[in-house]
Amino acid sequence: MSATILQTRGLGKSFGHFAANADIDFAVEAGEVRAVIGPNGAGKTTFFNLLAGVTPASAGTIAFDGGDVTRASGQHRVRLGIAKAFQTANIYPDATVLQNCRLAALARITGAFNLQMLRGSARIGGVDAMAQEALGRVDLGGVAHVRAGDLSHGDKKRLDIAIALATQPKVLLLDEPVAGMSKDEARKTEALVRKLAATMTVLIIEHDMEMIMGISDSITVLHQGRVLATGTPAEIRSDQRVQDAYLGGHTAGHV
Amino acid sequence: MTGWRFYALLAAGLALFPLIFHLPPINGYAGLATEILIVGIAAIGFNLLLGYAGQLSYGHAAFYGLGSYGSGLAVLTFFPHAQSFALALFTGIAIAGIAAAIIGSLVVRLYGIYFALLTVAFAQMVYFIVFQARDLTNGDDGLQGISAPPLNVGFAHVDLGSSLPAFGLGPCGDLSDIKLWYVFAAIVAFLVVAFVRTLVRSEFGEALAAIRENEERSIFIGLDPRRYKLAVFVISGLLCGLSGALHALYQGSAAIEGLSVEQSGAFAIFTIVGGVGTLIGPLVGTGLIMWLENIVGGVFPAWRLVEGLVFVAVVVFLPSGIVGSLLRRRGGRLWLRRLVTAK
Repeated sequence: MSATILQTRGLGKSFGHFAANADIDFAVEAGEVRAVIGPNGAGKTTFFNLLAGVTPASAGTIAFDGGDVTRASGQHRVRLGIAKAFQTANIYPDATVLQNCRLAALARITGAFNLQMLRGSARIGGVDAMAQEALGRVDLGGVAHVRAGDLSHGDKKRLDIAIALATQPKVLLLDEPVAGMSKDEARKTEALVRKLAATMTVLIIEHDMEMIMGISDSITVLHQGRVLATGTPAEIRSDQRVQDAYLGGHTAGHV
Repeated sequence: MTGWRFYALLAAGLALFPLIFHLPPINGYAGLATEILIVGIAAIGFNLLLGYAGQLSYGHAAFYGLGSYGSGLAVLTFFPHAQSFALALFTGIAIAGIAAAIIGSLVVRLYGIYFALLTVAFAQMVYFIVFQARDLTNGDDGLQGISAPPLNVGFAHVDLGSSLPAFGLGPCGDLSDIKLWYVFAAIVAFLVVAFVRTLVRSEFGEALAAIRENEERSIFIGLDPRRYKLAVFVISGLLCGLSGALHALYQGSAAIEGLSVEQSGAFAIFTIVGGVGTLIGPLVGTGLIMWLENIVGGVFPAWRLVEGLVFVAVVVFLPSGIVGSLLRRRGGRLWLRRLVTAK
């Protein structure tokens, strides 16, 4: 029986009078693959931003790995083990693919602030190995010395995931990993996420239902900023409220 | 460029600079060569912030000027009996460093134009505080008659005002035209360039480059950008303080103009003309502009017009600056490779 690694209680985020997230109670077991789905505007990305520390919560608490991280900064959460791949690939375009991952590995080893001004990172054993390992996991080892900005869209998004992996996370947040990809690229990335999912806790936002149903252990459905349902893929598929949210209900006439 | 080659070229350049500077067509003088190196150190400090951390400060005259007043006051007022060159230098650098830590901690959370504007505002505050503290600083008149104490080099006390031995150099004049001040300034400039080169290639420098390139991603690999930015702001201010302190001891005076907006702008112009984010660009830019000011300013009263035209010409035709354009021609776009090749 695995333990809960990430848990929120009453989590909320308001922008003025608009509640993007409200009363979210959410728990993920270590090793689980959890999908977060919902119609556009349901608050999925806001929820991920709260978990990663991109924006602070307006209400509620977030517990990670036995500690309260509600007020922890984004960089602190990364060091605790929450890593995020962004919806739009967020990389260092002017550095090489390998250097992108080396920076993340170096930050993992040397911490948030490192005043070593006299020696380069080459002397630190393990940085290259950590970076290469992360690249290998997303199948980018072959383009290690290419300028990151010159990669294809799909490879940039995979590099973003590799950067997150190089920080040695316990939980990986993937925000629409296959969005905007061609079918081939999407299938390749899906296979990659499947492989990752076998080795770590993964939270994933994705619109590709075929992929979600195939790789998730469980699914949380957000609707209008709140949790509508949580369950196994089979349960979610047959849940009447979920079908209403996607196909009718409040948004009837818009589909 | 490998380390040894870079340092050998730098040393050779610093050794030859005052000699070719004497050649009739160049029409410089040894004292100007010394001043260029001293002021160039401030430009290197400014460039550390702009070129390697990506932050444009328009207030670095504050640290340069405080360095000047600090070392001047150390000699004249604070420690008049100490007769210590090192103590005077250290006082100037320390005051600049403290100011940089205070101002830096207030501006590091800002970006771009807001960062630049706030640095101007703080620098102007420093200007008026120094200006108003007449009892200490003589206001408009500045500090005069700062006689640099002899430099303690361990086995002897050296007067930097003394000349090198007489030795004919043909068209380059005589070695005795050069004072020990030049040798000292060249050694300090060499060490400053070596320090910056080491820093930008260090772990600290890698993190700094990462933050400059993509701050959001850097937060989400676990770095704390504000602490890096504050650290580099303080180092940059310390280098400007070193430059100002040396300048006051060299010139024997500290002027209120050293704290002015024009002085802040001069560091930006020197750096942009020479090459932002290059190791020796700031020195080259400082040399070119100060030399032009010297030869043009004497015969043509509207020197600022010429300076402006040179600046515009460089920005339009050599957008990476003089040194930057030379390096760019040889290829290499990756910022880490630029660091490794010691651009």
